[in-house]
Amino acid sequence: MKEEALKVVESVLDEGRTAMVEYEAKQVLKAYGLPVPNEKLAKTLDEALQYAEEIGYPVAMKLMSPQILHKSDARVVMLNIKTPEELRQKWKEIHENARRYRPDAEILGVLIAPMLRPGREVIIGVTEDPQFGHAIMFGLGGIFVEVLKDVTFRIIPITERDARKMITEIKGYPILAGARGEEPADIDAIVEMLLKVSELVDDLDAYIKEMDLNPVFAYEKGKGAVVVDARIILKKVPENRKPEVSAEYRERCA
Amino acid sequence: MAEKIVEELKPFFEPKAVAIIGATNKKGKVGNVIFENFKRNKENGVFKGNLYPVNPKLDEIEDYRVYHSVKELPDDTDLAVIAIPAPFVPQTMRDIAEKGIKAVIIITGGFGELGEEGKKLEREIYEIAKAHGIRVIGPNCVGVYVPDTGVDTVFLPDEKMDRPKSGAIAFVSQSGAFAAAMLDWAAMEGIGIGKMVSYGNKIDVDDADLMEYFVHDDEINVVTFYIEGVKDGRKFIESARKITRVKPVVALKSGRTEYGARAASSHTGSLAGQDVIYDAVFKQTGIIRAEDFEHMFDLAKAFASLKHKLPRGDRIGIITDGGGAGVMASDAVAKFGLKMAEPSEETVKFLREKFPPHAVIGNPTDVVGDTDAERYRLALEAFTKDPNVDAILVIVLFQVPLLEDEKAIEILADYQRRSDKPIVAVAMGGRKTDRYAKMLDEKGVPVYPTPERGVRALAGLVRYAQYLKKE
Repeated sequence: MKEEALKVVESVLDEGRTAMVEYEAKQVLKAYGLPVPNEKLAKTLDEALQYAEEIGYPVAMKLMSPQILHKSDARVVMLNIKTPEELRQKWKEIHENARRYRPDAEILGVLIAPMLRPGREVIIGVTEDPQFGHAIMFGLGGIFVEVLKDVTFRIIPITERDARKMITEIKGYPILAGARGEEPADIDAIVEMLLKVSELVDDLDAYIKEMDLNPVFAYEKGKGAVVVDARIILKKVPENRKPEVSAEYRERCA
Repeated sequence: MAEKIVEELKPFFEPKAVAIIGATNKKGKVGNVIFENFKRNKENGVFKGNLYPVNPKLDEIEDYRVYHSVKELPDDTDLAVIAIPAPFVPQTMRDIAEKGIKAVIIITGGFGELGEEGKKLEREIYEIAKAHGIRVIGPNCVGVYVPDTGVDTVFLPDEKMDRPKSGAIAFVSQSGAFAAAMLDWAAMEGIGIGKMVSYGNKIDVDDADLMEYFVHDDEINVVTFYIEGVKDGRKFIESARKITRVKPVVALKSGRTEYGARAASSHTGSLAGQDVIYDAVFKQTGIIRAEDFEHMFDLAKAFASLKHKLPRGDRIGIITDGGGAGVMASDAVAKFGLKMAEPSEETVKFLREKFPPHAVIGNPTDVVGDTDAERYRLALEAFTKDPNVDAILVIVLFQVPLLEDEKAIEILADYQRRSDKPIVAVAMGGRKTDRYAKMLDEKGVPVYPTPERGVRALAGLVRYAQYLKKE
């Protein structure tokens, strides 16, 4: 678990970066058993076509670049691609958009992902407090977190009771419990995720600065939850590491 | 074997001999007020230790021999109180180290809170203390107040600030000004403070150390903290978890807003953490967060007398002699997330037999305006025996004409003693009521001036009981 995640962390630090791209962040999460979609990083168009075939259309494409962390601003997320033809066209488009947004963008590849069934959006985050160390945050996604700031924190590590209390104490809890005749969301799956994030950060506390699992789709009771997008910010690169630009990726994706 | 922390901090609270470094005969000077405090307490027979003023320029202060240096001090000195200008403190600390004194209160300000130069001095003191195993409270603080042993380093003179009586509440404050104001206020309110510590810049002894100490202090039932910032968060969490399993901790954390947070960091040179993080810490460690100082002492008062009989559940029974006050209390029960008890059939039957027809039986039970003390007794008899009631709020409007006030007070105190259910009283009114309220308080019935505050105090008891159950 820890070894696998550390490998990803080390490789990012070796490149002189502290911001992980979505794909890398999800590799770390996956190492700790967090539910991530069955996605693949395509470095060439041929790979992209092959992965889309394996995953099954429709698919989503997300361009991975350390310089582009706000993917929708740069318009490097393409959804609901139904055919290989469409994929070819979007492959071109997505690279053009990336270059327009950041001409110097280093492109690690394009994530080919299945289109996910929407669920109730929740957010799980991690921040570091100078006095108390890492804290985990939970809330409902979208306007609940942005406008109403309906979130709650606990210091890591947390217990299962902490996790359950976090979920029930936010004001928006009825939305998860099943307001207006909806089926209740899979609370146990969210509890599990909170505990795994806590464990991950507790193990890697020397490396992790901040983390956002946003959004997470929580499905109906018994149907689990999945991390749709994720970001991990690492602590400052230690002095002894020299950045080595991954020229290889840049050439192949040009 | 006694805990290490108890041995280390004990001299602060029960010294065998205290040296006042910077003692002077100049009225109003810090070194004079502190000396006078100890002298007065020694004359009253409260402070039983020896008192040694230290000042190189004096031979005698009010019949006390003055020592010219720390080196000259008798060997039984186990607490040093420093009230000399900051630049002289490091050398004094070295002398103290050589003398073998292990507990020091540094009242002097002008350290870390004033910038780099002060921080350097602070660092020097810290290093001397660490190297010699000296525990330090301060600098930049008012220190310690213990009414039972006569320790009083609060440099605000007796004629300007009243001292509270002793009690089961410990009060810890980062801010000295707040501590002094609260002591003065507690004295007026009749709230008993067993130990007060104000640690100022807390270069050594901090919240966590004090929590560890109070775990073992049988005189203390509840610990209250006024916190601006915590330095070692993990140590704080560990100690907090330890103490809340044994006794309740109530904390008032300032800097709730961004604006307040800025003010806090420029106050004692300490960093105020983010408010949401403190909320998380308090929730995870079972510390009860107070909204304001009134809330803090309302809770402290309730815990001081009722810590040993916490409610078994959250169902509140209300007895009142005024309908309006009963409604206010019921509203507060809902507001603070408690439940209104449903009185059992036995309770209803019992009260129906005994009460006049115009009294209202139920919850609230209204003994109405023509009540005498006996109706309160009957209602308490029924509610304390009722399995559906976990805690009782008794509202007494002492203004009603037929109520034998002192008898009513005796009845409440009697049921508080006999019943295993906590009883909290509300006495609304003015000067005359205030006198009765103090009597109730003294007899172990915590009393509050409004139904809302009474219920809020009960909610604190309920929450703490729930926390203990889960642990």
